[in-house]
Amino acid sequence: MLNLLVPALSLLPLLGAGIILILPPKRHSEIRKTAVLTTFLTLVFSLILFLKFDSSVRLFQFVTYVPWISSMGISFHMGLDGIGIVMVLLHAILSFTGAVVSRSINQNVKLYFVFYLLLVSSIFGVFTSLDLFFLYLFYEMSVIPLYPLIGIWGSQNREYASMKLTLYISLGAVLALVGLLSIYFTSGLQTFDLLILQKAAFPTQFQIWCAPLMIFGFGVIASLWPLHSWSPIGYAAAPTPVSMLHAGVLKKMGIFLIIRIVMTLLPEGAKFWLPVVAVLCVINILYGAWAAMAQKDMKFIIGFASVSHMGYAFLGMACLNELGLTGTVFFMFAHGIMAALCFALIGFIYDQTHTRMVPDLGGLAKQIPFISVCFVIVAFASSGLPGFANFVSEILIFFAAWDHYRWQTILAILGIVITATYMLRMIRDVFFGPLKPEWTKIEDAKGFWGKLPYGLLVTVLLIFGIWPALLLNMIRPTTQALINSHLSVYQAANQNFVSNPS
Amino acid sequence: MNELAQALKPFILFAPEVGLSFILILHLLFDLFKKIEPKSFVRSCVLGMILLFVILWLVWPCAGVSLSSMFQLDPLAIFFKGIFVLSAIATLLMAQEFSQKLDNRFNDFCLILLTATLGSFFLVSSNDLITLFISIEWITISFYILTAYLKNDSFSLEAGVKYLIIGAFSSALFLYGISFVYGAFGSVFFADIKTALATGSNSLFTIGFFLILAGIGFKIAMFPFQLWVPDVYEGAPTPATAFLSITSKTAGFAALLKILFLMTGVESINWSSLLLLLSPVTLIYGNLAALRQTNMKRLFAYSSVAHVGYLLMGIATATKLGIEAVLYYLAVYALANSAAFLVIVISNRELKSGDISAYRGLAKKSPFLSGVFFVALLSLGGIPPLAGFFAKFLIFRAVILKGYLWLALIGAANVIISLYYYLSIVKEMYFKQPTSKDEIELSGGIKIFLLCLTVGIIFLGVIQEPFLNLIHISSSVLFLR
Repeated sequence: MLNLLVPALSLLPLLGAGIILILPPKRHSEIRKTAVLTTFLTLVFSLILFLKFDSSVRLFQFVTYVPWISSMGISFHMGLDGIGIVMVLLHAILSFTGAVVSRSINQNVKLYFVFYLLLVSSIFGVFTSLDLFFLYLFYEMSVIPLYPLIGIWGSQNREYASMKLTLYISLGAVLALVGLLSIYFTSGLQTFDLLILQKAAFPTQFQIWCAPLMIFGFGVIASLWPLHSWSPIGYAAAPTPVSMLHAGVLKKMGIFLIIRIVMTLLPEGAKFWLPVVAVLCVINILYGAWAAMAQKDMKFIIGFASVSHMGYAFLGMACLNELGLTGTVFFMFAHGIMAALCFALIGFIYDQTHTRMVPDLGGLAKQIPFISVCFVIVAFASSGLPGFANFVSEILIFFAAWDHYRWQTILAILGIVITATYMLRMIRDVFFGPLKPEWTKIEDAKGFWGKLPYGLLVTVLLIFGIWPALLLNMIRPTTQALINSHLSVYQAANQNFVSNPS
Repeated sequence: MNELAQALKPFILFAPEVGLSFILILHLLFDLFKKIEPKSFVRSCVLGMILLFVILWLVWPCAGVSLSSMFQLDPLAIFFKGIFVLSAIATLLMAQEFSQKLDNRFNDFCLILLTATLGSFFLVSSNDLITLFISIEWITISFYILTAYLKNDSFSLEAGVKYLIIGAFSSALFLYGISFVYGAFGSVFFADIKTALATGSNSLFTIGFFLILAGIGFKIAMFPFQLWVPDVYEGAPTPATAFLSITSKTAGFAALLKILFLMTGVESINWSSLLLLLSPVTLIYGNLAALRQTNMKRLFAYSSVAHVGYLLMGIATATKLGIEAVLYYLAVYALANSAAFLVIVISNRELKSGDISAYRGLAKKSPFLSGVFFVALLSLGGIPPLAGFFAKFLIFRAVILKGYLWLALIGAANVIISLYYYLSIVKEMYFKQPTSKDEIELSGGIKIFLLCLTVGIIFLGVIQEPFLNLIHISSSVLFLR
């Protein structure tokens, strides 16, 4: 029975969207309640799955299998491994808090929540699908709601930003589609099923040209340099809940898919191309951080910061060892919560002051203490201070990368210093110093629902910072199995070489 | 019982044609003796077409030849006839919404439309070059009238004249080609020609073949025969434009498939590499030209050229997978284009302009209309979970299986270009505030039909298997040995 909860994660938001579509557009409060209730239910489902997940088993769990188009080998196949469950939990937390934060949306509420729930549903689909066809379907489906969500409810430069974002990500997606179809045919197995395809041995030559299609195709959404330029503009334009989901989860989808598809199916292709990624990601870290230093708009600062931070995730993945991969997955979780919280807080401040420019603000800590405390916490987490989940994951990544990519690691650590600089500078300029007279009337977050989203995210950040084993124990068996299968493939290839030197 | 079935068989083969002729003549006679309101005229026509759909459903998957093997009914023909019926229903409803401009000559418009549909019925059932030519002419002559229907509109007349010249030119090429083919093998029957080709091709036939291909190239707007499309599409009355882009194009592809697979086959003439060259050019030309359009119909004209590029890609693979993809694509294209043009007809009437910028804030004026347009545009753009995505997916699948990775990459990049101009329309509708406040009221029938189309677009994108099986049976007609 539990396995039915996995497809329910995607279907429930769709159902919610359907209900909202029927509701009359004027009934805002019913529409909001439906959306919050749906996302809350998905959060409950994810928690149940998280608690029932057996971390000692290395196989996919809670599997649902329904043949879909048998003649083409397409099936509706869903299940979770240690990486998937972590991402599902992250997404469930963020989509719930996002729905609560959506109170600030006041125009065209009905349409907004329809698109929002479509987005939520398709992201769950990406993290749970075990069939390449459905995986791609959900992936591309998640891009399209972003266009109206940013374009209609966004702020400055929304038309340009939403178009740029959609086209960039779609371009990456269709490149990946060509790669996926090549995998389908080269395997000769006539199936899109990920678990069956894992058993196929792909020729090395094929792996080497097919892997970049997907590493860079999915790399677009994870804002790999130089394909990142849609990202800060997109975040700045997007409404708060969409920025939260985008920085928190959507970006992680790129790395998640590279791990799930490229590393499992094309191990040699990954081995060939990941050192290139390791160089690009250092540019990500340093360039993103450097650009963030120069920004005045808080959303742009966090936008560039997230470009910079994704570099760490790429670096951990590029190590191709258990420690690095575990660190990457943990980092994605920690960063997802942290980035979303950042955007939620900036959104709160913007709703109060109608400005996001750092020089316009100042001394807000006196006026909105709760929000300020949250922001200081998130800034510490972002700068990698011990005690937060981000610190643990970054340390794991650096340990893993030290042996493989010495220079990259040193430069990446330098990135942390820059991060601390601009984060602390922003804290100083926005929250401390003299309070400007125009901000004496703004109000702090009030009541249970007002404080809930921020409080929840801070709590999650602290829980996993203090007790990282809770997540690490779930992730590790999966990453271990993944790396072991890599080694065995590699050894097999070597043995072949020894036995037939020709 | 068996004897009865045997005796009735010739009639069953003709059932769709007989049914449509009956509808046509009935309405013609009624129209002669009694003045009928456009609304009830359309209603009874649509009812007749729905009955025709039921007939098609009943004869599926019947097959057989008649009229000294000049007429052939097979699953492929029934499949195409289904698309034509859908297109006719959509166009009739468009004509109803357009009836103000057609005023007292409205009923004739509908009758000519049905005549063209009857012609395309015969086209997909043709079994030799002469029947094929006659049915193509049948359709084309109906379109000469339809495109020039607005007597007082110089654009419409210009479109009619352009279409006339181009149509006559392409017909001449086609006929000239037939004469070469007949000269080479002494027969006009597809099967005879294919048998004769098996023993070896000759240069007479090759010349004839390429002339015929050029003739059809005009009809389907394949590069380099696509230049007439934007002007004719823009000038013609919008229902005629829609009909041109669905029925005429689908019929053209049916003729192309017959010529390429039933008459020639891949082995004797290497048309595959020619199409491999032309398909990306058609695709890129259509998409790049569509980027800068400001008129909605013109944009759709160029985007329809781009869709031809995708369809040719599928045909160029010359595999059964490719043809299945093409058939799926044609059906989905008909669905999405019907919905899109119905929206265009209604909005052009209400907004009193055909410019894309006139659509600004349409979402405020009619959430339903813009919602349908949104779904149709995304389906044309190829976004999951809509049917257009699955059609493109099938095309890419066929192309990659054949090993043309470069072609798939060009196709993939073009998805992004097309997404840009489709999303630009979405931008006008949703992102901008309307200039006036008046809301657009829709009649119940139109709403139901648009809803059906939208559900169809989503359904074919999510639950693909039943329709794939149907196409599997249809396409096997082309690959009989």
